[in-house]
Formats: sequence, structure tokens, C-alpha cells
Amino acid sequence: MRILLVEDDAEAAAYAAKGLRGAGHVVDHALDGEAGLNMAAAGDYDAYVIDRMLPKMDGLSLLSQRRVDSDDTPALFLSALGEVDDRVSGLKAGGDDYLVKPYAFPELLARVEALGRRRLAPANVTTRYVVGDLELDVITRTIRRASKKIDLQPREFRLLEYLMRHAGQVVTRTMLLENVWEYHFDPQTNVIDVHISRLRSKIDKGFDKPLLKTVRGAGYTLSDED
Amino acid sequence: MLRILRTTSFRFTLIYVVLFSGAVAALGAYLYSATFGEAAKQTDAVIEGEIAVLADLFSSSGPGMLTRVIRGRTAWADDSIYMLIGAPSGAVLAGNLTALPPEALTAEGDFFNFKFERSIFDAAGEEVIQQREARGKFMRFRSSPEAEQSYLIVVARDVASRQFLRNRSQSVVTRIALVTIAFGVVIGLLFSRALLRRVEVVNKTARAIRGGDLSQRIPETGAGDELDHLSTNLNAMLDQIERLMAGMRDVSDNIAHDLRSPLTRIRNRLSDALEQDAEAKDKALRATIDDSERMLATFNALLSIARIQSGEGAGAMEVTDLVAIVEEMAELYEPAAQEAGFDIILITAPTPPVKGSRELVSQAVANFLDNALKYAAGGKRIELKVQPAKYGGAILSVSDDGPGVDVKDRDRILERFVRLEESRSTPGNGLGLSLVAAIARAHGATLRFEDGLANADSSGSKKGLRIVMEFPVFAG
Repeated sequence: MRILLVEDDAEAAAYAAKGLRGAGHVVDHALDGEAGLNMAAAGDYDAYVIDRMLPKMDGLSLLSQRRVDSDDTPALFLSALGEVDDRVSGLKAGGDDYLVKPYAFPELLARVEALGRRRLAPANVTTRYVVGDLELDVITRTIRRASKKIDLQPREFRLLEYLMRHAGQVVTRTMLLENVWEYHFDPQTNVIDVHISRLRSKIDKGFDKPLLKTVRGAGYTLSDED
Repeated sequence: MLRILRTTSFRFTLIYVVLFSGAVAALGAYLYSATFGEAAKQTDAVIEGEIAVLADLFSSSGPGMLTRVIRGRTAWADDSIYMLIGAPSGAVLAGNLTALPPEALTAEGDFFNFKFERSIFDAAGEEVIQQREARGKFMRFRSSPEAEQSYLIVVARDVASRQFLRNRSQSVVTRIALVTIAFGVVIGLLFSRALLRRVEVVNKTARAIRGGDLSQRIPETGAGDELDHLSTNLNAMLDQIERLMAGMRDVSDNIAHDLRSPLTRIRNRLSDALEQDAEAKDKALRATIDDSERMLATFNALLSIARIQSGEGAGAMEVTDLVAIVEEMAELYEPAAQEAGFDIILITAPTPPVKGSRELVSQAVANFLDNALKYAAGGKRIELKVQPAKYGGAILSVSDDGPGVDVKDRDRILERFVRLEESRSTPGNGLGLSLVAAIARAHGATLRFEDGLANADSSGSKKGLRIVMEFPVFAG
């Protein structure tokens, strides 16, 4: 993926860029809002990572301007603020995701990759997901693994649907909490882990190959590969 | 003293005094012209009349008759003054003036004022020379049109008594005016001093506060006047400022307290690791990352609390259904609770909506549940309940059947970083309930602790804990 990182804090930018490059992405870095806008207009990127507070032009204006020029490259805002209102204003300005600083790098990586993937498989609305021998039908709300029907609670269904939509990607606990439960705070209890292990016992138990895997220090991934 | 002179109330009083004095002066002028002016005109009229009578007498009966009449008129010592001087001889034929007043010749044919001396007899029979004032007219009568010589006549009225009265009333009016002004100034000074004293109380408080004593308040007199209202408002403002200051101080104290120890630990661990092998260094670095992450979490929690407290992070307050919130939270926590050996019991009654933020209330419930799972060790049930409050509003409560919290500790656990002895060993930063307290305040909700669910197999010491969050009546 080609990623444009617009961040005025050189050290934070170096940390993020190093990590993203380490994960195999190409990263261009702009130090202020105007430079970021010019680079975004000139280059062809798969994702933008934009700090909210930037010299010369703030992140919201930068992205709004790109959206006016019908640039639909997915964008993630970074912000040191990070309460609900900021998130809402970020999304209104055309942002696709929002991450509060300080963040753990795996969280950033997982979210940026989720954004990029969304672009590769765009609007053609999928109603049926398949990972290995696991199938999920959104319309009939049925799940089968190796032709065997699996019954899930509504929330477990949403959880699995989200995981399958992001199959092969790392999905963090915070991403699950935000997208499946719509909460933007982190409970101190490992509530997500227990939900995952319940889901795992329903879709993996009794089958040879586990599909739902834990990624240490980052989150979970649903994948057919080893 | 100078300060009093510069007060607004004193200036107002001065303006009032000036206007009032002006009014008094106008009134005095009117009274003067209406009385003394009128009296003077009357005197002049009397003199004119007398002269006409005398002239008539002169032309019909001659100087002899005139002399007799004048003698008769001046026989009594009243305020009438006459003087007749003979034509050829120039001798005074009759009258009570000893000499022709010098003013008479210059004002011939016109009224003039003059002074003269008069001898009177006082009560003891002594003769006293008195200085008198008079107003009169000086005329010439000729015995026939062709006569060369003319008789000179002065007809006047003694105006000394009237003059005296006039002078007297002038000085009285002046004195009244002076007294009025003096009174006004004094009253102005008194008013200003009273006002200044009350304003000075406010200033004194302000100075004390500027000097660093934020606990000072302006004493309220209870008079219910505008100054009292001002004091009440200022005091309310000061309360708010003090609360915010205290919050700031708390935060900085707490940051200093709670972050100093992990920072010290990190520093010591790293300096130890410098002298050790690679494996120990790796271990130290990993431990340092863990410590830093905990510190970041603490920082974020503190910032969230501060933001919610300042009203900034309250987000959009909207119509919020508490029942839906607890249902979702119960669903989110149910597996984790099961794993920890708890049953979540959800009890809801139809409850009016409250004004709030789903995100914040959910976070509060999450903190309650986190705490229950962490501290209600040995418990089996967590009861999540939403019901209407007695007088409108809604009550959200979370109860457990764990060891509970002593009554004496219940207030303390809301404070930042307070962790009771019993729970020192469990992970946590002691900010969970502070955050809840801030959320409650942002919603105008009250927070209280009660005994929780009775423990069936308890010996009585395990009372459990119930946290009650009562939301006010939804208004708009």
C-alpha cells in the first residue's frame, strides 16, 4: 500500500513510518497541512493518515478539500484530543477512521490496513462471505462450516460478520468494540477476549483447522492460512 | 477622604446639591420680587401721589399753605420725610431734613436713594443720632410761570426698616442656601462612606483572594438589595473558580504522586540494566514498555476526567434510554462475568428517558462492572437495575454480593487515585470511580453507595455494595 502520512511531530512520524514500512508499505511523509494537500493531489495513495493539528492547514480542512475534489482515498485521523465530539467532527470532514494519540502501533497498522483493504474491495455489496470452509450469508443470516449449520447469537453474528469482512487482516479489540458494539472507550476487563473465545468455541471447536486466531500484542485475525 | 470624594455616589450627591441650590435660588428670587419689589413700587406710588397733592396745593394756595401742611405732616416722627426750601431766601421753610441731600440735585425729577441722620429719643429719653436711608423725589415748584425763583421740595419715605428687612431676608436666604449645600455635602459624604464601606468589603475580599486565599467570600448582609445580589453572584463565581482550581490542583498533585513512582522505577530499572547482559536488558525494556503503557492509560484517564469535569467532554447530551444502555452493557459483560463466576441479573422497569450521553453513561456502567468483577471477589451475582425514581427521573444501580465497602470508606473511593488497602494488589489506577463521579456530575446525577446484595452464606460481614446513580427529571 502507498500511504501518505501527514504529521508535524517528526519523531512520532518517524515511529509510525518505520512501523508501516516494516509491514511492507510505502510511506510518504508531509510535515504540514499544505505540503500534505499538495502531495495528496499529486500522488496516488491507498490511504491517508492525517494528524488533526497541523501547521499551515489543519487536518480537517486538508481532507475536506480533497473530498471536494472527489478524492475518495480512505483517511484515518490521528488526534491528541479524542473525545466523542472530535471523532464526530473528524468523520464529518470525510474521515473513515479515527485514532487517538498515544496509540499502540499495531492498532494503527491494523486500522490502516483495514482502510486499504476496503478500497481494494469497494462498494460491490457482498452478502456472502467465505473463509476456508466457513460461510456466512448476510441475507439469510445463516452460518455454515463444512456444510454444518452453526447457530449464533445476534451479537456473535455481527462479530463474526465483521471478522469475515476483514478476513486475513488483524483486527484489534478496540476496532471490535467500536464497530460491533459502538463504544469508544476501553473497558478494563477483557470483555472482548471472552466474546471471542465464545465465538471460537462455536466456529472452531470440533474442526481440524482453527480459523479464528489470536495475534499476540495486536488482536485477532480470521484466516484460512497458517 | 479623597477616595470618598471620588465615589460615584458622592458625585451624584453633588449634582443633586447643585440642582437643589439652583431651585432654592430661583424660588428666593421669585419671593424677593413678589414681596420687596412690590413694596418698593408701592412706596414710589405713594411719593408720586404726595407730590401731586402738594403741587396742587402750591398752585392753588401758595407757598404759605404748603409750609403749613408740611409742618403738620412732619410733626409726627413716622417714616414720612419732607423738606421745603423757600424760593428767594433759600431757607428751609419746613420739613424734617436739615440739609438738601446731594443726590437730590443730580437726580432732579427722578427717584433717588439717600442717607441722612436723624435724632430720636430712645427708651431712656436720651437723644440718639441714627443713620437712616430713604427714597424720595426732588421737585421745583414755581409760584408763577414767569417767576425766576422756584421753591425746592423733597418728598421721601424712610426705607431703613425695609432695607433692614431686605438685608435680613437676604442673609437668611443665603444662610439657608449655605446650610442646604453643607447638608447635601455631608449627607453625600455619609452616603458615599456607607457605600464605599460596602464596596470596600468586596475589594478587601478580592485583594485577599488575589493574595492567594481562595476560600475568602464576600459577607452577604441579607438586605436583598442590589449590592447583596452582586455579592451573591460574585460568591457563586468564586465557588466555581475555587472548584476548578481545586480540580486543577488535584490533577497536578495526583499526576505528581502517581507518575513519580513509575518514572523512578523506570529510571532505576534502566540504569541497573546498563550494567547487565543482553537478556536482562531486553527484560528491562519490556518492563519499561509495560510501565509506560500504564502511565499513558493513567494520563488518558486523568484527561478524560478533566474534560468531562470542565463540561467539554460531555459531548452531545440527548434523549437517552437507560434501559437500552444497561441491556447492551449486560450483553457485553455477560461472558466475562460468567468466566469470573458471576451471574449478571438484569432488572428493568419502564423508565422515563434521561438527558445524557450514551457513551458516557455506558462508560460509567462499564466502570461499575469492571469494579464488581475486580473487587467483589467471592461473589456470585451482579445486579444491574434501572427503575423510575420516586419523584421523576431515573435510577441506575449496580449491586454485588462481594465483601462490600465500609461505610467510612464510601466517600473516599470517589476521589482520584484512592485505592483501599484491600485492593492495593489488584491492577488499576484508582481513577475508575473518579471518572464515574465526573460523568455523574456532567449529567446532574447523584451518586451514592449502599449495602449491596445480602450474601446468603455470609456471617454478616459481607454486605456487598450497591452503587446508585440517580438521574434528574428529563427537562427538554
